[in-house]
Amino acid sequence: MRTKSGIAAGAMLGFLILLAVFVPILAPYNVVQAWNDPGAWTNNPKLAAPEWSEIFSGKHLPRTILLASNGEPGGFDKVRISFNVSGQTYTIVVLRKSFSFQFDTFPSEIKLFMTAVFGNATGTQIRVFWDRPDGQEIHLFDGNPSVRAPYENTYSLTGPSFKDPSYAVYSSVRDWLIAKNVTNQTEWASLYPTSGGIYQNPPQTQTMLMGRLNRTILDPETAEVLKGNYSFRIEFSGFTPTDDANARAVVYGTVFGLAGTDYEGRDLLVALLWGAPVALAFGVAGALASVLIQTILGAISGWYGGFIDEFVQRTADFYLIIPTLPILILLGILYHLGILLILFVLVVFGVVGATTKVVRSIVLQVKEEQFIEAARSYGASRSRILFRYILPRVMPYTFALIALTVPAFIFLEASLSFLGLGDPSLPTWGHILGDAYTQGALFASRAYPTGLWWWVFFPAAGIIFTTVAFALLGYAFDKVLNPRLREQ
Amino acid sequence: MPLPVLDVKNLVLWYRTRKGPVHAVDDISFALEAGQTIALVGESGSGKTSTANSILRLLPKNVLRYEGEVVFDGQDVMEFDNEEFRKVVRWRGISMVFQGAMNALNPTTRVGSQVAEPLIVHYDIDRREAADQAIEALGKVGLSGDIARRYPHELSGGMKQRVVIAMSLILKPKVVILDEPTSALDVMTQTNIINLLKDLKNTEHLSYIFITHDLGLASELADLVGIVYAGQLVEVGPAEGVFVRPKHPYTGKLLASVPRLRSEAAPDFIPGVPPDLTDPPPGCRFHLRCPVSFEKCGWSAPEFIEQVKLLQISEETKDKVPAIEAMKAKDTQTLLIKPVANGTIAEFAQRLTSFIAQDQETYRFLKSVESVQSKAKVVEVKLHEAMPPPLIGADWRASCWLLEAGGS
Repeated sequence: MRTKSGIAAGAMLGFLILLAVFVPILAPYNVVQAWNDPGAWTNNPKLAAPEWSEIFSGKHLPRTILLASNGEPGGFDKVRISFNVSGQTYTIVVLRKSFSFQFDTFPSEIKLFMTAVFGNATGTQIRVFWDRPDGQEIHLFDGNPSVRAPYENTYSLTGPSFKDPSYAVYSSVRDWLIAKNVTNQTEWASLYPTSGGIYQNPPQTQTMLMGRLNRTILDPETAEVLKGNYSFRIEFSGFTPTDDANARAVVYGTVFGLAGTDYEGRDLLVALLWGAPVALAFGVAGALASVLIQTILGAISGWYGGFIDEFVQRTADFYLIIPTLPILILLGILYHLGILLILFVLVVFGVVGATTKVVRSIVLQVKEEQFIEAARSYGASRSRILFRYILPRVMPYTFALIALTVPAFIFLEASLSFLGLGDPSLPTWGHILGDAYTQGALFASRAYPTGLWWWVFFPAAGIIFTTVAFALLGYAFDKVLNPRLREQ
Repeated sequence: MPLPVLDVKNLVLWYRTRKGPVHAVDDISFALEAGQTIALVGESGSGKTSTANSILRLLPKNVLRYEGEVVFDGQDVMEFDNEEFRKVVRWRGISMVFQGAMNALNPTTRVGSQVAEPLIVHYDIDRREAADQAIEALGKVGLSGDIARRYPHELSGGMKQRVVIAMSLILKPKVVILDEPTSALDVMTQTNIINLLKDLKNTEHLSYIFITHDLGLASELADLVGIVYAGQLVEVGPAEGVFVRPKHPYTGKLLASVPRLRSEAAPDFIPGVPPDLTDPPPGCRFHLRCPVSFEKCGWSAPEFIEQVKLLQISEETKDKVPAIEAMKAKDTQTLLIKPVANGTIAEFAQRLTSFIAQDQETYRFLKSVESVQSKAKVVEVKLHEAMPPPLIGADWRASCWLLEAGGS
């Protein structure tokens, strides 16, 4: 084990095991449960690169700024007044929050989430204002909350969807820019032509909301960030004494965390960390079970011979030609197997196989050795000879084989997950790669000229790291078994 | 005469192979009294180890025939079923030191547990007590107790051999089969081991079956000697007799093959190769290589033809043999010879008869010719009947037709 590969394998495996031990503490299992709940990730930017990647761009890239009422950090200042005028109750809620924006590029998105309590009367209204560091105020939009608390009304201030108030924001921004003589109707219409009511080339409102007020603001490529304090002002008016409103606003950055996020805004670090214990447990359990069963069956086959031998070997031949992956794919399509069931199926399809054959050939050799005959001569039973004399001779080989089989199981699980047939509830490395593949993560786009590299790189690196660790361990065992390899 | 501790009668062990049955042990009988040592001596492949294995019922899968009587301590253990045999005979009654002790130890087990293994297998004994007994047994063979914690690869050849002997003694058997116990050891270690075996024989009241091809070691340890040739005992008798005045020609040749320091004579050898045990020669199995074979020894027609062909192709002898066109065995003891068309059949028969008369002392197979008769186109040669010689004698027996005639 004192070989270079042994030391490297030890260090790598030690790291993985530490990770597997500490991950449940760092990111408890409920984080994983939340993985498939898109609502749990609304505070994260979508498709954000890792924070540290800004060192390549040389710019201070925007982090996500979360503004929320209800006592959370960065909460809104809130004033609520309820009064009665000639039998009619009016409730006014004013929410205000300012934040400092000191980054070099624009945020990726700005969203406003409102929870509101209101009566049946029509006319319950919210008015949203945006104050800029240069003293400008833009009346973003007026809206009517459509759902009551605890559900949130979501208003995207930047998105291109026609259904949400961005249409209103768009008009507000346009009117503001025309009023400030930055542009005119004709130029605007030529810059952002409409077709059938949907913007063909929607303006990126965040660049206009947060850009310096001059001609450059019209083009997202040239717009300069206006640094300073911005603030939201939200006015809610309702008609019952119990009416109330709270708000949460998120100014989404373009970078997030250590490993970035995926298309749902999910923190890829969680998946990356959870991938390690899952891959380790799956690979080691699968390799241990199948190699040990195959070893014992191979030893039994070689030692007892005759019909048992024939039966085990022919079954092994049969199993060897069964294509396990297609069968697993079929089962995955039909039954949506959980990870334990996948493991079970893999072990069931691996009870006999190549190892059975190799171990049998070793046993055929060992069984002719003198000490086996000696054991027979003093009356040791056949099973005693098998377990006390023969299996210990085969075991060193088996250990090496287990280490070398672990990567195969990790790859298999990753392949299944990649194909979308793995355990859907667990964010395994293969699962992440599968998501990245279906979302076209590696295609370069205008917004992401290098593609979504972090989405592919980290899970792939995880798989490679783990398999290399086990492969090195296997080679280290191999050198113990075949001392001649040490010379080279 | 005391009852023998081991009496082997007509033991037969044949193996099934693709070429036909291998007569590995073919009717071997000997008796061993308590405290005696019998040395089974023979060439490689003569069936010595097969004899030992068949006494301990260590049979491979391809056994074709396994019969005879092995009377141990008054009981015919061949009648026992496997479980009874395991309980009474294996290691408790008869133990074995295997050929090549180097490999007779499990490399993954410590020496102590290896020595104690028969104890654990046979008696439901406490592990610690077994370990104590193992250390005691190691002490008997002159090894210190701390050896027990070592692995076999940490020991020297001689030490391993002692461990194997300790293991064979752990259940206090009456008979120990020593299958070439010293064959891979240097001479000094061999001597040590033989001395150890001698001491143990006296202190533990053992009987040995000592299987070896080393006549020197056999003479050192043996009371009785059994000479094994082609699956049969050709001579068995007291060591001092057999080694000094061997009765069987094979024993004589074997003894002559041992190099001697003070003798001018070069070591002798036996021409030819040991016979194929799938098809042992008829009559005396040694007759093909025997320097003194004669009429009764059992030449068969195919062997005769083979020998004539050998004479025909040899540069020295091809002119002596009358010109023959073809030879054919009619049955085992009759062959037909068709001469080259040159003169009459009678003339050829004449030439053949004179050749036989002239050269039968040199080419002893010619002695087996009983009659030469002329037929229409061929000459018919009849050979003497082939009969395996019985073991002749009482305490010192040998199977050779010469002994029947009274000479040796």
